[in-house]
Amino acid sequence: MNKRSPAFTLVQHGLLALMCVIAVFPLYWMLISAFKNESEIFTASMFPHKPVLTNFTYAFDEMPIFRMMFNSFSIAIMTGVFQMATSLLAAYALARWRFRGQGLIFSILSLTWLIPYQAVMVPNYTLVNSMGLNENIMGIVLPYAVSTFAILSLYQSFQSFPRVLIEAASIDGLSDFGILVKLILPNIKSMVASLGIILFLNGWSEYLWPMLITKDMENAPIEIGLRLFVNSDTNMWGSLMAAATAACIPILLIYILLQRQIVDSFVRYGVK
Amino acid sequence: MSHMEPTAVIPPLAGTASATHASVSRRALLMRRLKPYLYLLPAIVLLIIWMYRPLLYTCYLAFQKWGMVPGTEPTFVGLDNFTRLFRTDSFVHSIGNTVFYTVGLLPFSIVIPLILAVVTDGMKGKSKNFYRAIFFIPMILAPVSVGAIWRWLFHPSNGLVNNLLLKLNVVDQPIAFFSDAQWAKWIILFITGWKMVGFAVLMFSSALTGINREYYEAASIDGAGKFRVFIRITAPLVSPMVLFMLTMSILFASQWTFAYIDMLTAGGPYGSSTNVYYEMYKNAFANMNVGFSSAAALVFFVVFGLIALGLNALSRRLSFYDN
Repeated sequence: MNKRSPAFTLVQHGLLALMCVIAVFPLYWMLISAFKNESEIFTASMFPHKPVLTNFTYAFDEMPIFRMMFNSFSIAIMTGVFQMATSLLAAYALARWRFRGQGLIFSILSLTWLIPYQAVMVPNYTLVNSMGLNENIMGIVLPYAVSTFAILSLYQSFQSFPRVLIEAASIDGLSDFGILVKLILPNIKSMVASLGIILFLNGWSEYLWPMLITKDMENAPIEIGLRLFVNSDTNMWGSLMAAATAACIPILLIYILLQRQIVDSFVRYGVK
Repeated sequence: MSHMEPTAVIPPLAGTASATHASVSRRALLMRRLKPYLYLLPAIVLLIIWMYRPLLYTCYLAFQKWGMVPGTEPTFVGLDNFTRLFRTDSFVHSIGNTVFYTVGLLPFSIVIPLILAVVTDGMKGKSKNFYRAIFFIPMILAPVSVGAIWRWLFHPSNGLVNNLLLKLNVVDQPIAFFSDAQWAKWIILFITGWKMVGFAVLMFSSALTGINREYYEAASIDGAGKFRVFIRITAPLVSPMVLFMLTMSILFASQWTFAYIDMLTAGGPYGSSTNVYYEMYKNAFANMNVGFSSAAALVFFVVFGLIALGLNALSRRLSFYDN
């Protein structure tokens, strides 16, 4: 239906290409800065003429990068798994049964959407401190063991599941928990996986809370370690970009491998 | 297939049969009543511990003076913290900045993405998906990495931006982007926006994909021009998504800027780039002024709650399109 002149198409693609450059250029700059040597780092050259690895060796000497990477993975996976487990149970109950107080529970869930973390950070900080979980991965994970965003997203997925099948399975003698695990879950695998990806990425990118809990690089996720390194006021931009590259690699790899699913999951569930 | 409950197939014992049966079914009934709550228990307990208990405690702290020093107790100060909020210049100033960030982010969360989504929507599958995948990259990166990269790009003496500006003779002195009160908040706004665009493009694209193609065909048969089609068909049909993104953007803009404020300017210079959430953090953990921070948190919890209610009512009134 749309007839377009070639010139118009060209302008269009030119504009979009420019936007693409703006979107990815900072990443490119990070990458090449990480490989530039000391005499080249402060120039505007768009390609490292004599690429070096010294920036990486310095960054890996200064920071326990592997350790922090391990922390990040642990935190992201644990928060994802906890949130998924608590949300699956809660969303199942909400979608499966009608019961007294259901409206109240929905209000409680929706209201958390509006509570900014700054309104709960001090009490949570003192609680985690008194539990002795400061500088501890569990101290970062526990307050994030539940996500109302995940509950409400799964609730929607569950609602689209045909009730007739649930009734039939129940009559066949499948227990309620069995219905969740053996009937519903296998059928909404892709939705659960999409949500899992978002929960993982959220856990990986969390900022304020892990920053309050960890001051020591050994215990910090890589992002917080990177923040400490940036703020240590060295002018070692080459190694800083090497460290940033290292921190970005897992996420970028995941994005390259699961690009379609990631894009789909954000479309399906949005952010928060 | 039997339609009976599994317990009902057990043959009743002679004698006490009816009594046992009654108590078993009563217990089964009780179990069935309790079941939904049992499934909800972990989530609700965790929410109470980590969201509602602290929220109530913050309400309490808002009327206290406390430095979070171990061994000290909060002391009651009445409404002091609330009156001090609006008499503290730095805080009043941060409210202005919050408005600045909220309004300033709208082009990045609505205007630019809507244009990009409409432009890519007319394209063939491959190039459409390619562009959208590229736009989305900033969104998945963690805020610290993003902050670090932009801090390097905008570095006051050696950054690429200053380097190029000097080479092109746009300026004759490098700009201290993060310590110049005129620049700091614009840079933070730009970085936050840069990260948001891709996500918003995706949301609008999915809204556009949902529009029935027949409308466009009908319009083109009627000879409607491109602009007219946009105003008459596209715009009304994506308006629920626009409203959704507007709500997200208004409610969360200040939270999205938080990480960049902390990483790039720490709110400075002279509080020119701070916002209310950053002031809450700073008062609690740097100035050891927990009461002040809690009072601010409460006030803005209510303010943003009211805004959310308003937007929610608005979207309910407007979302009658294409059902």
